[in-house]
Amino acid sequence: MRRFAAFAALFAVATMMSATSFAKDDARIESLRAAEAARFKANVDADPKVLGQVLDDDLEYVHSNGELNSKKEFIDSLVAGKRDYVATTFEIQGVRILGDVAIIRGTAKVTVADGGQSRDLDLGYTDIWVWKDKRWQMTAWRSARMPPPAAK
Amino acid sequence: MRSRFLFALLASLPLAASGAQSIEKSAPRGDEASARAALQARFDAALRADVPALEKLLADDLEYCGVSATCSTKTQYLASVQNGTRKFKSLVPKVERVTMYSDSAVLTGKVYALSIGDGTERQVDAYFLVVLAWRDGRWQMTNQSSTLLQPAPK
Repeated sequence: MRRFAAFAALFAVATMMSATSFAKDDARIESLRAAEAARFKANVDADPKVLGQVLDDDLEYVHSNGELNSKKEFIDSLVAGKRDYVATTFEIQGVRILGDVAIIRGTAKVTVADGGQSRDLDLGYTDIWVWKDKRWQMTAWRSARMPPPAAK
Repeated sequence: MRSRFLFALLASLPLAASGAQSIEKSAPRGDEASARAALQARFDAALRADVPALEKLLADDLEYCGVSATCSTKTQYLASVQNGTRKFKSLVPKVERVTMYSDSAVLTGKVYALSIGDGTERQVDAYFLVVLAWRDGRWQMTNQSSTLLQPAPK
């Protein structure tokens, strides 16, 4: 009986320890998803304060047209209106956390204002986030244009 | 005696767990040079269409996202190398930045590729973003995502 109680206690402790770890991972993924949503919104709002927080100082942002921006160049282009995101809808397709690094893979439909007209870009993207200063910061972005849907 | 032993075992569980964690963290992990070498080996193996080498260099949870925004799993990627869908005449990577993290390395740069498909050659130059994970005592590529340097005009 005593042996059963001891093993039950062992099992309970082990379960509690893994549950704590899973809960921690869930919380990190939730905070990462929130940071991603805040970042997309800040792009549309051209909000340098939020972008300053969610973008890593070492950011490498490669646009789907092959243009490469640093953090400063990216924020400046939004604030100056040289790059104007009118609207964005996005869908996260996968999130993975490797220690202090996270990989998000997703798709986004981005409406950009371009010479008085707006046009939609359908993108597949990967972004890399790092856990620094007690928050997630995006350190790299790569996107590519999705092929137009095949004619039916 | 037995209950004392069980008590000691119970009490040591959290310590054992934290001990295991610290052993993992202090285990020798690849450095920047080995991360660069692993990436070069990956590109070389892709050029040779060397599936057994790629099998070791790619992580089982690989996400390979090409310049057309479509992503492949490891199985799909290896199948495309094996059946010749993904074939290169030359593949020249230029690593521009390597950032080391606790269990991973992020490498970015450009790759100049001459691909062969349907009897035609096509130059595909792209920015790459690669994440290597340190697993089983070696670097394994877990993500590659690319963007064309100059996308084709519409």
